[in-house]
Amino acid sequence: MLRRHPWIIPASFLALPLLVYLAFVILPTLNSLVYSFTDWVGYGADFEFVGLANFEKIFTDRLFSNAIKNTAIWLALAMTAPTLLGLALALALQGKRTINTIYKSLFYLPICLSPIIIGIIWVWLYSPKLGIVNLFLRSIGLDHIATAWLANPNTALLAVFVAWAWQQTGLNMVIFLAGLTSVPTPLVEAAKVDGANYRQTLTKVIIPMLRPATVVVLALTAISALKSFEIIWVMTMGGPFNKSDTLAVFMYSESFRKFKMGYGSSAAVILFLMTLVIIVLYFRQTAAAEELYE
Amino acid sequence: MNVRKNFATALLYFALTIMLILFMVPVYGAIVTAFKSQAEVSAGGYWTPPTSLALENFQRVMDPEGGNLGLYLQNSLLLTIPASLFSIGLGTLAGYGLGKYRFKGDGLLFILIVAGMFLPPQIALIPVFRLMNDIGLYDTLWAVIIIHTAFGIPICTLVMRNFFQVAPNALREAALIDGANEYSIFFRIMLPLTLPALAVLATLQFTWIWNDFLWPFILTQRAESRTVMVGILNLTGQYTVDWGGQAAASLLGSLPTLFIFVFFQRYFIRGLTLGAVKG
Repeated sequence: MLRRHPWIIPASFLALPLLVYLAFVILPTLNSLVYSFTDWVGYGADFEFVGLANFEKIFTDRLFSNAIKNTAIWLALAMTAPTLLGLALALALQGKRTINTIYKSLFYLPICLSPIIIGIIWVWLYSPKLGIVNLFLRSIGLDHIATAWLANPNTALLAVFVAWAWQQTGLNMVIFLAGLTSVPTPLVEAAKVDGANYRQTLTKVIIPMLRPATVVVLALTAISALKSFEIIWVMTMGGPFNKSDTLAVFMYSESFRKFKMGYGSSAAVILFLMTLVIIVLYFRQTAAAEELYE
Repeated sequence: MNVRKNFATALLYFALTIMLILFMVPVYGAIVTAFKSQAEVSAGGYWTPPTSLALENFQRVMDPEGGNLGLYLQNSLLLTIPASLFSIGLGTLAGYGLGKYRFKGDGLLFILIVAGMFLPPQIALIPVFRLMNDIGLYDTLWAVIIIHTAFGIPICTLVMRNFFQVAPNALREAALIDGANEYSIFFRIMLPLTLPALAVLATLQFTWIWNDFLWPFILTQRAESRTVMVGILNLTGQYTVDWGGQAAASLLGSLPTLFIFVFFQRYFIRGLTLGAVKG
C-alpha cells in the first residue's frame, strides 16, 4: 500500500517545515555549542574563542555546583511525589462514574494554567503573615512550623516544588489514566476470579501493565523538571542565597543578568546534555516496550 | 462483604474529597481575592468569600493608565493565534510527507524532528536572542511568533504523521487512478479528514503558546510588544501588595485557556496523551 515514491513529492511537503525547523531550532542549538567556547558578552559581534575555558571555569564555580545540587534535589522530588500521587489518583478515579469525571476534571485543571500564574497564587499561599498555609498551621496550634516558606533558605526549594507538583500531578494522572485504558479488563477479572485481592491485582497485574505509561511519565517529568524555570523565577528568583537556584535559573542569570553569554551557553550545553541522556533512555525504553507488546 | 466494600468506597471518596478541597485552595483563593474590594482585602479578609462582588480590581488592571492588561491580552492573541496556525500548518505538511510516503531515511528524519519536542528551550535561548537582534525582529511579536512556530513543529508533525499513517488509503488511491495529482489529493481529500487531529493540536498549541513566558520574556522589551504573562509578572513587581489586582490579572490571563479547558477538554486531553503515549 505504501510504495517507495520518487523523493520529489514527499520532499515538496517537507521542505518548508524542515527549513523553519532547521533555521530556528537546530541551527540555534548548534550555535549554542559554538558560543559555549567563546567569551561573548551579549552585544556587538565581538567575541573570541576561548577553548574549554568556560567549562573549566564552570566546574569550579560554586554557584554552578550549588545549582547542580538543587537540580538533583528537584529532579529526585519530581520523579517521586507527583508520579506516585498521579498514579494513585488515576487508580482511584478510573471508570465512568459522574463523580469520577468531575473529580478528574478538577484535578487536571491546573494543567491549563501558566506557571507564572501558578507561581503568583502560591506566593500568596506562602505569605508569612496572611498566607493560608501559615494561617492553617497556627489555627491547629502548629505555630512553630509556620515560617516564611519562600524566604527561609531551608524551605524555599521545597515550597516552590510543591507549587510545581500541583500542576504536574494532574498531568501525570492524565497519562496514567490513558495507560489504564489499555489494561485489558478480562485480565483484571481473571485475577479476581483466581482469588487475588486488590493489592495483589494491583502489584501483579495492573502496575506491570502500566509500564509504558510509567516510562512516559518519568521521562516527561524529568525533562520538564530539568527545564523548569518560570515558576522558580516568579516565586524566588533562585533565592534566598541561591537555595532554589537550579541549572535553568543559573543559565538565565549568568546569560541575561550578568551578560556572560558565552559562559551561560556552556551552562545551557550541560543542561542540554543532561536532557539528551533522558531522551536517549526514553527512546530506547519505548522501543523496547513496543517490541514487548507487539 | 458488601457492607465492607461500601464502607471502603465511602472512605475512598471521603479521602478524595479532602484532597480535592486542598487541591482547589489556590484556585479558590484567586477567585475570591479578585472579586473583593481593596478595602475588604486590607481589612484582612484574604481567604473569606467576598461580601459583595467588586469589579474594581479588574478595572484597575485593565486601565491603560494602570495595569494596561488590555494591550497585553491583545498582544498575546496576536501572537498565539498566528503561531498556533503556522505551527499546525507546517506540522501538517511534514506529517503528511512522513506519514503517507516511504523514502530513504524517513524514520531517521522523523526521530530528528520529534526529538525537538524534548529540547529544553534554554539551549536555543542565546542564539535565538542574537539571531532576532541581527534580523531586526527583536522586541517584536514576530520574533516570538517565529520561534513558537518552529518549536511547535515537532509535536504537530508527530500528531499529524500518526494520524495520516492510519488514515484510509482507499480514497487517495481512487483519486490517483482518476488522475488527481498529489497536491489536490492532500488539499481536497486528506485535509478535510484531519479536522479532529487539527482540533487536538489547536487546543494544545494555543494553551502552550498562550501560557509561555520564557520566550516573550527574552525576545521582547517594550510595553507595546509585551505579552500577558510578562505583563502580569511586571504587574506583581509594580503592585507587590495589591493581591486583588494580581488575582484579577491572573484570572483574565487564564480565561482563554480555561475556556479551552471547559469546552474542548476532550481534545486537549487527547492531545496531552497522544503526544505522550505515542512519543
